[in-house]
Amino acid sequence: MHKPSIILLLSVIVLFAACKKTEVTPDEDFSPVLTNLSENVILNTYLDLKDKASALQTATQNLEADPNTANLEIARTAWAAARSPWEQSEGFLFGPVDQEGLDPSLDSWPVNVTDLNNVLNGGNALTPEFLQAQEGTLKGFHTIEYLLWGTDSQKAVADFTAREFEYLAACSAVLASDAAQLYERWAPAGGDYIANVLNAGKTGSIYPSQKAALEEMANALSIIADEVGNGKINDPFSQQDLSLEESRFSNNSKADFANNIRSIKNIYTGKYLTFGTLTGLSAVIADRDAALDVRLKTEIDAAIAAIEAIPGTFGDAVFNNASAVSDAQTKVRTIQQTLESDILPLISKL
Amino acid sequence: MMNTRLAIPALTVVILLASCKKETVEPDFSDDYKAGGATTIHSAGPDAYTFPLANIDGAGLARHTEADALFEQQFVTAPAIRFGGLGPLFNQNACQSCHIRNGRSQPPVSPSDQASGLLIRLSVPGSGEHGGPAPVPGFGGQFQPKAIFGGVPEGKLAWTEMQQIVQFLDGGTATLTRAEYRIEEPYQPLPQGILYSPRNAPPVFGLGLLEAVPEEDILALADENDADGDGISGKPNRVWDVAAGRTALGRFGWKAGSPTLDQQTAEAFSQDMGISSVFYFPQESCTGQSNCTGGIGDEPDIARETVETTAFYAMSLAPPAPRNLEDPQVQRGKMLFLDAGCNNCHVPTLTTGNHPLSALSYQTIHPYTDLLLHDMGEDLADNRPDFEAGGREWRTAPLWGVGLTQVVNPNARFLHDGRAATLEEAVLWHGGEAEESREHFRKLPAEERAALLAFLKAL
Repeated sequence: MHKPSIILLLSVIVLFAACKKTEVTPDEDFSPVLTNLSENVILNTYLDLKDKASALQTATQNLEADPNTANLEIARTAWAAARSPWEQSEGFLFGPVDQEGLDPSLDSWPVNVTDLNNVLNGGNALTPEFLQAQEGTLKGFHTIEYLLWGTDSQKAVADFTAREFEYLAACSAVLASDAAQLYERWAPAGGDYIANVLNAGKTGSIYPSQKAALEEMANALSIIADEVGNGKINDPFSQQDLSLEESRFSNNSKADFANNIRSIKNIYTGKYLTFGTLTGLSAVIADRDAALDVRLKTEIDAAIAAIEAIPGTFGDAVFNNASAVSDAQTKVRTIQQTLESDILPLISKL
Repeated sequence: MMNTRLAIPALTVVILLASCKKETVEPDFSDDYKAGGATTIHSAGPDAYTFPLANIDGAGLARHTEADALFEQQFVTAPAIRFGGLGPLFNQNACQSCHIRNGRSQPPVSPSDQASGLLIRLSVPGSGEHGGPAPVPGFGGQFQPKAIFGGVPEGKLAWTEMQQIVQFLDGGTATLTRAEYRIEEPYQPLPQGILYSPRNAPPVFGLGLLEAVPEEDILALADENDADGDGISGKPNRVWDVAAGRTALGRFGWKAGSPTLDQQTAEAFSQDMGISSVFYFPQESCTGQSNCTGGIGDEPDIARETVETTAFYAMSLAPPAPRNLEDPQVQRGKMLFLDAGCNNCHVPTLTTGNHPLSALSYQTIHPYTDLLLHDMGEDLADNRPDFEAGGREWRTAPLWGVGLTQVVNPNARFLHDGRAATLEEAVLWHGGEAEESREHFRKLPAEERAALLAFLKAL
């Protein structure tokens, strides 16, 4: 991928472009993009996560108070609902989520089943404080998932022990607290991490330039594209081993993958759900290479469609629908290729 | 969270500058920008330490990607379907928990701080097997404050902070803070006279290049008894090489206590994560302790290949290029760096020899280290010997990429125990053989001190 000829070619192009300019043009102001992405996309994704994690907490409390099939289903639905904004935040895994240990607390994998069984069989009071002090592999989305679904997705209300209900409620309370903290750390009224993005290039921001902030965002997109294409899909698929499938208990993997690609779409197009002004990285790219902009948007939509077109569960398709899985994987890798070969170089030259 | 991708080197800027200004002769910085020779990547953002060698081939890149996944993998208690073997005692459950974004870590801000990458090496006076540190009965060679569920950790980390004020010649002052660490609530009484060495997780990029520097080149920089009388010794550490079964030159770790990346990685699995390995460290690190229970099988936890693949990650991570070298303040700073004699230990340029990973071979690199031990004075001393490294001696820390430390992790701290919040504090802590250089810095006017720091920031 690192052919010297390509590098040389790029050098020459830039050299020509730069030498032709005789006057210094003022740097373009990317504030509209950075403002929209941080205020409307990132902050609203975390707000949604906070709200839905709180709803999951309520649902697991209700399940503990009144264990019945309907409440179990509500809790499972609430888990998947909270999982959606989280997976849609994985296209920007920088800042507090990365620096303050929140990612491992929210989304550790795999579950430490041996320790979990020892906790459940032990006598510790299952409070949020107790769980907050445990390793990430004893809490977060996947521990909740394991408890809600069991290993074979056949778990019924009668299969739960009283301590499992307690653990679920406490674990969901910690998840809700982590999600609230994540939102608070970004929010202007709280930790105000958002100021780093809004004031990129100014004193006090960790970004020495607006370009550096845009590079961070674009890099983060390629990281998640890589993780989905070469990790989350590839590991269970290439090794034909579902113990490597991340959300295998809930069979939520297809939604996980699609939402990860949506996180790319959200940052690229500048929109989360109904929020945002459609001023995302796309606006920066379109001004410079309209065809590339259209191509990436098309590739993103194609990848989401291909993931959702995989028949049945991902686990089943790994063995019985290799062509559909392979097609989705190829389309995700295409996004990664475009980000790395075309988008990142273009942004690095801003 | 995987961090593998390729950066297109920004050679462009260099070529551009050189060709657009033909009429005047500008200093040529093109070589200085190549911190890692052809391996150098050009990124100044928060993921600057996460790129593979720029010149790595397809097979190397595939292995790097596989290794990246292992570096970030969280391990769990055995028995487990996947990634079992954690503990019974440990510091953290994944490599990246300490090596945050592959950079420096930070000491804990509170006793329950989970994000810290600080650990405490322990020993009793004297030397142990193969001349290494003598383990503490009941605690081993490292303090492990965590245990798998139901287990008994070795104790709790506690500390007392101490401050001292440094006065600059021009009147300004700087306040330096350090922590003295101790173990509270030990699971069994601690023997008297234990030696503690706090160690903050160092950055892990560029290590393959340092491994590829020929031993004779490093030894040529050594001056153990200061025969040339310049006040600077430079002493090689001689440590036990597990794979070779003999003593070898130490290169890695704060006191150069490990000879190879494979062994350094196996030690980290063993000591930091409680994960035993085939061939390197087949026994649990807590073997022989009364709290070494649970999660133990007879077999080592991970295969030899798992250790070596994980080591490949650090081996194949590229150093980032410096920035802003043309800036007059940075140029002035570099001159002051040389004037102060910082380069006597922070040797700017080394050359690699042949390495099995060919991308690393025969590169001219600018790591700013001699990989040798130096007496750093009483204030930095841990007073704990590590093979031939004495209690006041530390290996010269590489300075490449140091200016990006807090871009990568705003909470990151400098020096072996993370006591320095800024590069200025790190400079001011230097003593011993570096005392003269530190005094040179202390006596500079503010704007010249700022220039020297601007040079470090540009690296």
